[in-house]
Amino acid sequence: MLKNYLKIAIRNLWKHKTFTLTNILGLAVAFGATLLLSLTAFHELSYDQFHTHKTSLQQLYREVHRPNTIENATAFPMPFTPALKTEIPDIVHASRYGEFGSNILRYKDHEFQYNTVYVDPDFLDMFSFPLIEGDKKTALNTLAGIVLTEKVKNSIFGKEEAIGRTVEMKTDTAWKPFVVTAIAKDVPENSSLEFAALIRFENTPAYQGAKDDWDRNDHDVFVELSPQTSAASFGQKLKAFTHKYYAKQAKDLKTSGAAPDKEGEFVSLRSIPLTDLHFNSIASSAGINKFYPYLLLLIAAFILFIASVNFVNLSLGRAFTRAREIGMRKVLGARRQQILSQFWGEALLICVASLMLGILLAYTLLPGYKTLFNQSLSPGILRSPWFLGSIVLGFAAVSLLAGGYPAWVLSALNTSQTVKGKITVAKNYRLRNSLMVIQFVLSGLLIICTTIVWQQLNYLRTAPLGYNKQQVLSIPIGAHIDGQRALDLMRSRLASIPNILSVTGTDINMGRGRDNSSSSSAITFEYKGKQIQSNWLRVDYDYAKTLDIQLIKGRDFSRDYSMDSAAIVINEKMAALLGDKDPLKANIPLDASHLQVVGVVKDFHFKSLHREIAPLTMVIRREWPLAYIFVKVAPTDLPGSLNAVQKVWKTINPKAESEISFLDENTDKQYRKEARLSRIFISGALLTILISCMGLFAIVVLVMGQRTKEIGIRKVLGASVASIFSLVAREFLVLVGLAVLIASPIAGWLMNKWLQDFAYHIHISIWVFLFAAAVALLIALFTISFQALKTAWLNPVDNLKSE
Amino acid sequence: MIKISELQKVYRTEEVETIALNKLTFDVKEGEFVAVMGPSGCGKSTLLNILGLLDDPDGGSFLFNGTEVAHFNERKRADLRKRNIGFVFQSFNLIDELTVFENVELPLIYLGVKGPERKQRVEVVLDKMQIMHRRNHYPQQLSGGQQQRVAVARAVVNNPKLILADEPTGNLDSSNGNEVMQLLTDLNEQGTTIIMVTHSEHDSRYSHRIIRMLDGQTVTENILV
Repeated sequence: MLKNYLKIAIRNLWKHKTFTLTNILGLAVAFGATLLLSLTAFHELSYDQFHTHKTSLQQLYREVHRPNTIENATAFPMPFTPALKTEIPDIVHASRYGEFGSNILRYKDHEFQYNTVYVDPDFLDMFSFPLIEGDKKTALNTLAGIVLTEKVKNSIFGKEEAIGRTVEMKTDTAWKPFVVTAIAKDVPENSSLEFAALIRFENTPAYQGAKDDWDRNDHDVFVELSPQTSAASFGQKLKAFTHKYYAKQAKDLKTSGAAPDKEGEFVSLRSIPLTDLHFNSIASSAGINKFYPYLLLLIAAFILFIASVNFVNLSLGRAFTRAREIGMRKVLGARRQQILSQFWGEALLICVASLMLGILLAYTLLPGYKTLFNQSLSPGILRSPWFLGSIVLGFAAVSLLAGGYPAWVLSALNTSQTVKGKITVAKNYRLRNSLMVIQFVLSGLLIICTTIVWQQLNYLRTAPLGYNKQQVLSIPIGAHIDGQRALDLMRSRLASIPNILSVTGTDINMGRGRDNSSSSSAITFEYKGKQIQSNWLRVDYDYAKTLDIQLIKGRDFSRDYSMDSAAIVINEKMAALLGDKDPLKANIPLDASHLQVVGVVKDFHFKSLHREIAPLTMVIRREWPLAYIFVKVAPTDLPGSLNAVQKVWKTINPKAESEISFLDENTDKQYRKEARLSRIFISGALLTILISCMGLFAIVVLVMGQRTKEIGIRKVLGASVASIFSLVAREFLVLVGLAVLIASPIAGWLMNKWLQDFAYHIHISIWVFLFAAAVALLIALFTISFQALKTAWLNPVDNLKSE
Repeated sequence: MIKISELQKVYRTEEVETIALNKLTFDVKEGEFVAVMGPSGCGKSTLLNILGLLDDPDGGSFLFNGTEVAHFNERKRADLRKRNIGFVFQSFNLIDELTVFENVELPLIYLGVKGPERKQRVEVVLDKMQIMHRRNHYPQQLSGGQQQRVAVARAVVNNPKLILADEPTGNLDSSNGNEVMQLLTDLNEQGTTIIMVTHSEHDSRYSHRIIRMLDGQTVTENILV
C-alpha cells in the first residue's frame, strides 16, 4: 500500500511540475529563512542562560532622581560591595566587576593585548565559567593570581604548561608580575560578561587611593542571593542600605530641587536579573530590545505561514484535477482514512523535501547571513532542546495543517460526484481568498515597516549633527602610547602636510570608532544651591575648530591664555541649566578649583539621535588622559589624506591596533541596531512578497484553468482581451488592496511605537502607505499578467475545447 | 441478490427540487444480466450510484444479499463495495499515473491481498482480457478499447458478485464495443451478476432483461431469452 502511495505521489508530483516546484521551492525558502531567523532568535534568547545560579544572580544599579533627569547608573564606588555584603546577609556571593580598557600582558618579551577584568574571589563561585585547570576555590585567593581563558593561554604559552608560570601585566605605568592559577574555558558567545583574563579587583590602578572613596564610581557590581530571598525583602534591605550610605546625596538632591520617586526616594538601589542583562539598556549599551528576538520569530512565523497558505491553496486548487482519481479509489473500496493518509503522505513528502532543501539553503547561506546581519551564532544552539523542539514543532505544524487540511477536504468529497470529475471544492473561494488576504496583509505590513525603518535610518544618517563628520578622521590612541604625547607628535608631524587643516584630541569618541568602544562621562556639582549634572568632555586646543562647532559667545580655548586649564567651554543646554544671564560670568566650583566659563558653543549631537542633546562641559586638563585624536582634512582628496595620516600615525605608534576612520563612519555605527533591523525587515519583506507572489501565480494558473471555458464563451460573445484581463485581474487586485488597507493601521501603530525610541525622528506620512499599496498592487499585477494574458489571448475555439 | 423497494432519491438546490428516483421497486436475481435503459435524466445513473453504494437513498429499502444497506455509513459501504462490487464506466476512469498492471492491482491492495498473490491474480485477469502485453503501459498509451478492457479487468480482479457498468461502450467504436460486450457476457456466463446502464438497443440485447425507466420510475420490463 505504502509503495503504491509513494509511487503515485512521486508520479503525480512529477506530472505537475509547476505546482510541485512552487510548493517545494516556496516551502524550502520558508524553512531556510525560518531556520536562520530562529537560530538568531534563540541565540539572543540564550544569553546568560548557561549559568547554574542564573535565577539568583543580579546586577545592581542606582536610580538617582536629579533636578532634570532620572539617572540609572551601574557604576559603584569601591567600598560599596564590601559594605553591602556585610550589611545584607541574603547576599551569598558578591563581586565587583571592573573593566578598565584592554591591558597588555607580557611573557618572554612578547606582548599581548587582552581584555582583563578585575573581580572579587566570589566571581568564579557565582558564575558558571568552568575551569579546565586549577581550582575555582583558590584560583583568585592571592592578589597576584591570574585566570586565563583557554584561547589566551594558547596564544601566550602554546602547548606549554601555563599553571604556575608568571606573566607580567602593565597596570598604570609599571609592569607587575602575575602567576597563572587557573585556565578557564573560553567565554561562550552568548555571555554578556566577556573577559580574556581575570585578576583580583584590588589590582585596580587607583585602588589604594579610592578604596574608601564613596564618590568615585567606576565598576559594576553583581550579587548572588540566597534562593530563599524574596524580591520584596531584598528590595527592603537595599532601601535600608541606601538610607544608611546615600543619605547625604539624597539630602543634596532634595535641596537642589529634584523630585523624588513614588516612594519618596531620591536614590534607590535596584537590580537587574542576570538573564535580562542582554536586553537591558541600563546594563549594557549594546543591549538589544527583548522585542527583537521575538520579532524575528514572528517574521519567521509569517514566512512559514505564507508558504503554508500557498501549499493549502495549491493543493485545494488541484483537487479539481485529481477528483477523478479520488473518486475511483473510493469506488474501488478505499476508506476515507486511506485517502486521507495518501494525500497527507504526499504533502509530507513535499514537506520533507522542502525541509531538506531548506536546511541545505540555510547551511549555504549561513556565512553570508552572519556577516550581513552582523550576527554571531553559537553552535551550541543547535543542540538546545528548545531550538530542536521548535523546529520539530514548526515542521509538524506545517505538514499537519498545510498538508492535512487539503487531504481532509479531498477525502470528504462525495464519491459519485468526484468519480465524474465534478467537484465543488475548487470553487471554495472564500477560504482561498481569506488566506490570500492574510498573506498580503503580512507582506504589506513588512513593506510599510521596511519603508519607515529605512526613512528613519536615512534621517539618522543625514540629519545635521552640528559638527563636521565628513572631513574629520578619528584615531583611537590605544594603550601603547601616552595620549598627550601622541597628540603632540601628530600635531608637529602633520603640520607640514598641506591637506591637513587642524588636529585635536579628546577622551570620548564621536559615535563608535574602529576600536568599537563608546563611553560617556558626567559630573555633578552644586551651583547656586542647585545640583547640576553635566556631560564632561576632555578636549584639547582646536576642538571646536577641528569639528566646525559654532561658537556663539565668548571664545574657544586658546594657547594665548596661560590659565586655560581652569577654563571651560559649555554648550547652550548647559548655559541654560546654569541659568545665568551672561553665561560667561559663571564660575563653577569643582574639587578645590574654580572653573571659569570662557565660551558657549551651539548645541551639537555629541551622542546619538536616540537622546536629546544634554548639557556639556568641555575642559583641557593635561592630567586627564586623551583617548582619541581628531584630524580635519581638506575635502578634496579624502582617501589620500586618510592614507597620509595613517602613514604618520604608524611611525608614531607602530603597535596601534585600531584603524583610523572618518567620523561619518563612526556615527553610522551608532545605528547598527537600526541598520540590522532594517536589513531584517527588507529581507523579510522580500521573502514574504516572493513567496506570496509564487502562490498568487499558481492560483492564477489554476483559476485560469478552471475558467478557460467561461473566458472562451465571453470571447465568442465579443469580449476584448483587455476586458478579459481586467475581469481576472480585478478580483485579485481587490484582495491585495484590501490587504494593504488592513495592514496600514497596524503597521502605522507599530512603527509609531518604535519611533518613540528616538528623541529625534521622522513623522510617518500618508505617502508611505500609498507607496506600499502601489508596490503591492504592481507586484501582484505583474504576477497575474503572465497567465491572465496568456489565457486572454487564446483563440476562443481553444478555450471552448478545454472541457 | 438485489431487492429494492420504494427507493427514493431527491436532489435539492436552493430553488429546484428534482426527484431522481420515485418509489422505484425491482429485484435482480443472482446470475442475471440486466440492462437499464431510458432517456437522459430518467434516473439511471442515480440508480446505479445507489446500487453501487456510492450514494445513499433518501427513502425506501435496499437489500443486498438479504442485508439492508440503505443506511450504511461510508465505512461499511466501502467495505461491502470492495468485496462484492466491480465498476465499469463509460469514461474508463483509469488512474493516469498508474500503469495497466498497477491500475488492475489497486482493488486487491485495498482488499489487503499480499504482494505475490496480487501479482498472480492480476496476471491471470490481464491474460484473460488479452492485454498482458500492455501491462507496463500507461492508460494514455492505449486505445479506447484497450483502456476499457483494462477497466473491466480491474472490475473483475477481486471476483465481485456484481458488476455495475455505466454505458461501457459509450466511448468506443462498434468493434471495440462488441468486444467489451462479449467480455461482459462471458463473465455473466461464469456466474457474475451484471447490471448495465445503456442507451444502445444493440448492447441491451446482450442482457436477459431490460428495465426501461422514465422520470425515476420503471415503465416496462422486457424479458429476453
